[in-house]
Amino acid sequence: MKNVFRLAAFAAALGASASVLAAAAVGQPAPAFSAVDTSGKTVSLADFKGKTVVLEWVNPGCPYVKKHYDSANMPATQKNAVAKGAVWLTINSTHSGASDYLQPAALAGWMKEKGGAPTATLMDADGKVGRAYGARTTPHMYVIDPKGTLAYVGAIDSKPTANPADIKTATNYVNQAVAEVVAGKPVSQPATQAYGCSVKYSD
Amino acid sequence: MIGAHVRPVALRHAFRPGRLDNRGLPRLLLTTMRLLRALFAALPFVLTLPASALPGGAATVTTEQVRAELVAHAPQGVVPGQPLWLGLAIEHQPHWHTYWKNPGDSGLPTTLQWTLPDGFKPGEIEWPTPARLPIGPLMNYGYEGRLLLPVKVEVPSGYAADTLKVKLRADWLVCKDVCIPEGGDFALDIPVASAFAARAADFEAAAAAKPRPLPDVRATATVAADGLSLVIEGLPAAWAGKAIEFFPEAPGVLDNALPRPARWDGQRWTVRVPLSDQRIDSPARMDAVLAAAGEKAGVRVGFDIAGAWPAPGTTPKPAAMPAPAAATPPLGLGLALLFALVGGAILNLMPCVFPVLSLKVLGFASHADDRRALALGGIAYTAGVVLSFVALAGALLALRAGGEQLGWGFQLQSPAVIAVLAALFTLIGLNLAGVFEFGSVLPSSLASLQARHPMVDSFLTGVLAVAVASPCTAPFMGASLGFAVTLPSVQALAVFAALGLGMALPYLAASLWPGLARLLPRPGAWMARFKVLMAFPMFATVIWLVWVIGQQIGIDGASALLAVLLALAFIAWALGTPGIGGIGRAAFGAIGVLSLAAALSWMLPTLQASAATAPARSGEAGSAWEPWSEQRVAELRAAGKPVFVDFTAAWCVTCQYNKRTTLADAAVMADFAARGVVLMRADWTRRDPAITAALAGFGRNGVPVYALYGRDGAPQILSEILSVREVRDALARL
Repeated sequence: MKNVFRLAAFAAALGASASVLAAAAVGQPAPAFSAVDTSGKTVSLADFKGKTVVLEWVNPGCPYVKKHYDSANMPATQKNAVAKGAVWLTINSTHSGASDYLQPAALAGWMKEKGGAPTATLMDADGKVGRAYGARTTPHMYVIDPKGTLAYVGAIDSKPTANPADIKTATNYVNQAVAEVVAGKPVSQPATQAYGCSVKYSD
Repeated sequence: MIGAHVRPVALRHAFRPGRLDNRGLPRLLLTTMRLLRALFAALPFVLTLPASALPGGAATVTTEQVRAELVAHAPQGVVPGQPLWLGLAIEHQPHWHTYWKNPGDSGLPTTLQWTLPDGFKPGEIEWPTPARLPIGPLMNYGYEGRLLLPVKVEVPSGYAADTLKVKLRADWLVCKDVCIPEGGDFALDIPVASAFAARAADFEAAAAAKPRPLPDVRATATVAADGLSLVIEGLPAAWAGKAIEFFPEAPGVLDNALPRPARWDGQRWTVRVPLSDQRIDSPARMDAVLAAAGEKAGVRVGFDIAGAWPAPGTTPKPAAMPAPAAATPPLGLGLALLFALVGGAILNLMPCVFPVLSLKVLGFASHADDRRALALGGIAYTAGVVLSFVALAGALLALRAGGEQLGWGFQLQSPAVIAVLAALFTLIGLNLAGVFEFGSVLPSSLASLQARHPMVDSFLTGVLAVAVASPCTAPFMGASLGFAVTLPSVQALAVFAALGLGMALPYLAASLWPGLARLLPRPGAWMARFKVLMAFPMFATVIWLVWVIGQQIGIDGASALLAVLLALAFIAWALGTPGIGGIGRAAFGAIGVLSLAAALSWMLPTLQASAATAPARSGEAGSAWEPWSEQRVAELRAAGKPVFVDFTAAWCVTCQYNKRTTLADAAVMADFAARGVVLMRADWTRRDPAITAALAGFGRNGVPVYALYGRDGAPQILSEILSVREVRDALARL
C-alpha cells in the first residue's frame, strides 16, 4: 500500500541523519580513519580491529623527530611494539604547502634509511586524521587497546629536550604503555604532555 | 678609574720619607710588589668591562635566528641586601619566536642553568607578558623581537672576591615555520665593587612587561565538562570592554586554540576556557596571566578551582558564546506558539505540500455525503501531522541532548537524506503525472486495507504530509524553528505541535465544514488534468533538492542522483503503468533494477565526497567574503576590526534571497568597505559542529543569522529577512 512505502521512505530519511562526534581523549573510543600509505594502499583503523595499535605523528624536518630517529630510539620502539603483536602506524599530517613537506616516496625512503619498522606509513596531507585525534606535536603518540579505546596519549618519553643523550635516562612511555596494554594491565601513565614541533596543518 | 680602586696606602708607604738603612731595600721591594700587584689586579677591569671572551663561553651567542646575550644589572655592585639581576637577552630575527613558560600546544620554554659561586641563589625566570602565536589550528605562547628574561639573584654576605664569575647554560627552541633547538654556554664577569648597569634600560623594560599582581582582584573559578568558568573583578578599570587574552601558566590543563567566550558586565569579566581534550592534570589552584589586547604589560591572577574535574575521557563540549546583550530578545512562548501556528498554515502553500494536500481535499467531493467519515478523517489527519512534527522535534532534541551538534535543517545537511527525499518526491510526482499507479505496484491486499481503515489512511497521509513538508520548513522557517529547539523541551515540543496544528488546520477546517463539498466543482475529467498539473511543483522541488546536493557534493554527485532518479522512474513505470503484460513487466522491471544498481554504484561513493572535493562554495575568486572561523573572528576583534558574519546554507531559501538582494546591493557593499568591515561567511550546508556551536551561542539553532561585531561589546544580530536600510543603519551606528 502506498502508505507503507511512504512510511518506509520517511523512516529512512530520519535515520540517515545520524552522525558521531569524535573526541580523542584517554578512555574514549579511538576515532575511525582511513588514509593512503606511502605505497598508495588505503589503510583503515578498522583493518586492525582486535589488535593493539600505536599511532605516531612524524615530520622528518622536526629536530625532535630527528632526535628519536637518528639515535634509533623510535625504530627500536617500533620494533619492540610490533614484536609484541601490536600494529604501528606512522602518520605524517604536514600539509603539501609546507616547506618540509615530503612526497610519499621521499617519506618512505627516509623511513627505510632510518631503519624504521612501522606496519605502515600514512600520508595525511589534508590533516583529517591529525585533527580527528587532536595531534599537536611531532612526535605525538597514541596507543589504542584491542577494544578500540585510547589507552595512552602523549609524549614518546619523559625528557622534553632535543638532546639525544637524554633518551637513555628518560622513561619511554610508549614501551611502557604497549607492554601494559598487551598484558591486559591498566596503563600506569595514560596521559602525558606531548613535546615537539607543531604539526604543520594548513590554516 | 684604576686610581679609584688602587688603595693609596701602598703609594704612601712607598714614598714615605725614611732612613735609607739596610732595612730600606726590602721595604722598597715590598712596596713595589704591592704596587705591581694592584696594577695587575686592575688590569682585568680594563680588559673586561665590555663583555669578556673567557674560557667556558662568551657573553654573546649569535645564530641565524637570534642574538642571545648574558646580561647583568647591578647598579650598586654585588652587595648583600641589594638586588643583583642576571638575564638572557634574546633578539629574534623577524618572524622567529621563542616560547613562554607554558609554550602552548607545542614548543618548549627557554631554560637557564646557572653556575654561580657558593651562596649565590638564582631565582626563577621572571617571564614578561607573552603573546599569542597562532599556527594553523594550534596556538603557542611566546615572544618575538627583543626579549629579556631576567633572574633575581640573592647575594650572600661575606663574598670576598673582586669579581663575580657567572656561567650560564641556556637552551631555547626558536621557530618560524620550522623549529630549531639552539643553545649556548655563556660567561660573564661582574665587578663586585662597581656599578654594572649598561643594560639598565632593557631590565627596566622587562620589569615593566612583567605581569603584575593586582592587590584587589577577586577571582572565582568553577570547572565543568564544558570548560573552566572564571569570573574576575578588580581588573584595571581601563580594561573594561576590551578583548582580554588569557594565558594559563600551567601547560596541559586548558585548551589553547579554541575560542574562549568572554563578556564584560561593567567591571566584571567572565570567561569560559575549554578544557584540553588531552588533559593531564586536575589542579585545585591555577595561575594565569591576563593581558588587554594592545597593552604590553599584563596582570597575574591566581584562583582556586571549585567543582569537580570531569573524569578523564569525558568529551568536553565546545564552549558556546554567552548570550550577547544586544541580541534580539527571545520571543515569549505565547508569541512563539502563535507564529508556529501561522507558519504551519503557510506550509500548505509550499510546492512540496500543496499538490498532495489539494488532491486530498478535492477527494472530499466524492465523499460529500458521509460527513462523519470526513470529519473523523480530518481529525485523524490532524493527529498524524501533529504527532509527526512532535516526533521529529523529539528526535532532534534527543540527539542534541546526546551531544550531537545538530540544528533545524539537520535533515538537509546530509546528502544521503536529500537523495532519499529527492527520490520520494520524484516518485510522488510521477504518480501524480500518471506514469504509474500504486495499485499496480503493490499487492491488492494492501490496497484493500486502505479502503477498510480510512482513518488509518488519513493518519498516515498526515505523516506523509510532514515528511514532505519538513524539507520546506528549513528554507523558510529555519531560524524560528531553530530558536524553538533551544527552549526547554516541553516548550519546544509545544511549539512544534502548534506548527503541526497550523499545518493541519486548512484540511481540518475543510473536512469539518459541511458546505465545502457543495462549493467544490463536481468531479470530472478536469480532476485528472489537475492531478497532472500538481506533478510540476513536485518536480520543481526535486530540481531544488538536486541543486542543494550539488552544492554539497559537486556536479558529479548531482548527476549521479539524477541517474538514480531516472532508474527509479523507469522501474516505477515498468511495474506500475497499467496495460503491460506480465512478461513485459518482468523484462522492463529487470532492466530498471539493473540500471538502478548501476546508478547507485555511481552515486553512493559520491555521497562520501568531502568538502574539499566539492566546489568551493564561498570562495569565488576575488570574492569579498572570507570563510568563517571562530579563531579569525577573535583575532580580528582583538585587532579592533568590525566583522560581519553571514551564517548561511545552500538549502536555506531565505539565506539565498538575502544573499542575492541585500548582500549584493552596491550601497551596502560600499558601506562595508568604507567602515573596513571584514565580511565572513559561515556555510552550514553540510554539518559543521563549530558553526552549530556558534549559532547556539547566539541562542539560535537554524540559519540565516547575521551577526555584526562592532569595535567592542557584544555582536548585534540583524533580522532574518535583511533589508538594505537595516544593514546601513546598523553600519552607521558602528
